Amino acid sequence: MRIEEHPILGTYKKGEIVPFTFDGKTLEGCAGEPVAIALKNAGVMVHRYTRKEHKPRGIFCAIGRCTDCVMVVNGKPNVRTCITPLEAGMDVRTQYGVSAEQPDKGERK
Amino acid sequence: MKRYDMIVVGAGPAGLCAAIEAAKCGMHVVVYDENAKPGGQLFKQIHKFFGSKEHKAKIRGFKIGEELLEEADALGVEVVLNAVVIGLFPEKEITVKIEEHVEHVKGDTILIATGASENMVTFPGWTLPGVIGAGAAQTMMNLHGILPGKRVLMLGSGNVGLVVSFQLMQAGCEVVALADAAPRVGGYGVHAAKVARCGVPFYLSHTILCAEGDDHVTGVTIGEVDKNWQVIKGTEKYFEVDTICLAVGLSPMSKLCDMAGCDMEDNPAKAGFVPIVNEYGETSIPGIYAAGDVSGIEEASSAMIEGRIAGIAAAVRMGFLTKEAGDAEFKKQKTALEGLRQGMFAPGMRGKAITQTEEGVAISKNLLEHGFVAEEEIERFPGVTHRKGIHPVIECTQNIPCNPCQDACPKHCIKIGSKITALPAVDPEVSCSGCGMCVASCSGQAIFLVDEDCGDGTAQITMPYEFLPLPQEGEKGIALSRSGEKVCEAQVVGVRSAKAFDHTRLLTIKVAKEYAMKARFFRREDAR
Repeated sequence: MRIEEHPILGTYKKGEIVPFTFDGKTLEGCAGEPVAIALKNAGVMVHRYTRKEHKPRGIFCAIGRCTDCVMVVNGKPNVRTCITPLEAGMDVRTQYGVSAEQPDKGERK
Repeated sequence: MKRYDMIVVGAGPAGLCAAIEAAKCGMHVVVYDENAKPGGQLFKQIHKFFGSKEHKAKIRGFKIGEELLEEADALGVEVVLNAVVIGLFPEKEITVKIEEHVEHVKGDTILIATGASENMVTFPGWTLPGVIGAGAAQTMMNLHGILPGKRVLMLGSGNVGLVVSFQLMQAGCEVVALADAAPRVGGYGVHAAKVARCGVPFYLSHTILCAEGDDHVTGVTIGEVDKNWQVIKGTEKYFEVDTICLAVGLSPMSKLCDMAGCDMEDNPAKAGFVPIVNEYGETSIPGIYAAGDVSGIEEASSAMIEGRIAGIAAAVRMGFLTKEAGDAEFKKQKTALEGLRQGMFAPGMRGKAITQTEEGVAISKNLLEHGFVAEEEIERFPGVTHRKGIHPVIECTQNIPCNPCQDACPKHCIKIGSKITALPAVDPEVSCSGCGMCVASCSGQAIFLVDEDCGDGTAQITMPYEFLPLPQEGEKGIALSRSGEKVCEAQVVGVRSAKAFDHTRLLTIKVAKEYAMKARFFRREDAR
């Protein structure tokens, strides 16, 4: 998904490749790029599920305004991944409602 | 409490220009921006800007951003990033959140240049991952170097929708269709034409019925709407896409002005709820100014001038500039701003149907309804002429404020005149050297060099080309028409690049001579 060479912009200045985890699985991204971009590159589309209806959400505005892309990052929920720079070893988790815990089906109403 | 001569909220084009003008006069200026990087949306704009020299025409947006930052830095403007201004008070005080603390700062003048936010539309499935704003697409591909998707449907035919569609293709995405519920293309015809000739079909009077997919977008259905915006049964069309891009307008982010108690109005001509400002950008609270999209949606070019005007006005107010010097500078900027606010897309023209150009030439209906000028329409425009040998063919058919082509020709064969919105005309008496400067200078990519008869049954067409991989000399491919349909076989006979072309390559193709006025784009053989 990365653009190797752009006709106008040439190549992109990127940070070094670092590992991070997504729901416990190790992925790689470029240090300093938004977490959402690293996830996008890895093909991750769903960042969270809504609390009441369990509907998937992903990147929408990509500039930190809409809050659709929030996830649990290093244990902290509601982190806007589109404007949070990726760091080596970050623990990124899908957010369910406002936590990283997937609710039981019976609980979801 | 910290105190500045001027506090600017927002480090986009308006804010930076205001800070520059104020700092030039010796004012102590701080600019707060909530983002990690300054420049607002300028760094996502990779197309060449319109206007004339004074508006930085034919310079790409991100380059303008770099220039403004350098200038602000050299003048000692303090730019504070990751700083969210959360309060603005009529006493010209602000509260700003920087990391985990809040500072209370006093400004003797304050400029609000917070810009705009994207509008959205709702339809079943609109919250699915894969439905994104056009700005998000720009952020992903132009700032972070990542494709928003592989196959994209664009909703919205305003300049944002058109420009971003083109940028998506430049980045390597396929744009499967461009839809708009309006019956006519909303943005510049030249932007539409360069998207259409790449083969993107335009669906005007069409809206999205639903986005398909369980966890993310896998497809989209659009349908035609009637005059009452109701979907006509049986007109549904399905496209397999992974991304739906929304470019349905912008709204001013004017909450700070409202909070301070500035007089506000809901003004459709300005696209939303805006502070009422005088000709200097001053709100109803003396010393508080607003400039750029926050006071009415326009182009970045006008935002920059509005910013400069507010910076000058603040300097006069504070005594850093005499009234006379300020008036002279204001007059200059006002003239530049008026230059941009002319023509068919001027703020006052919103929603008006236009039937002919300022020159009295009938408008291309096909351009408005399908995104490209029809063959039977193109000949009536003054930039389209015929003669023996190589010559420019200027397919510029709407009155927009732009004139770099006039200065580009070293032989002065292109005439626009003093009215910046006039359609360019080609002087048939002046010979053309084929240098291609006009082709590269046209921000709308609407100029072609054509040799209609090379003497061996072929014609040659030179066109602007901003895609990768770059075709090679000798390569064979297909010539596409203005509508993006296959016209004939073509061979590349020249590929030129030069520093003065600024990353626009000039591609010359050879086709059978009967296609000289039909072939307007080149598709490589191994492309889809």
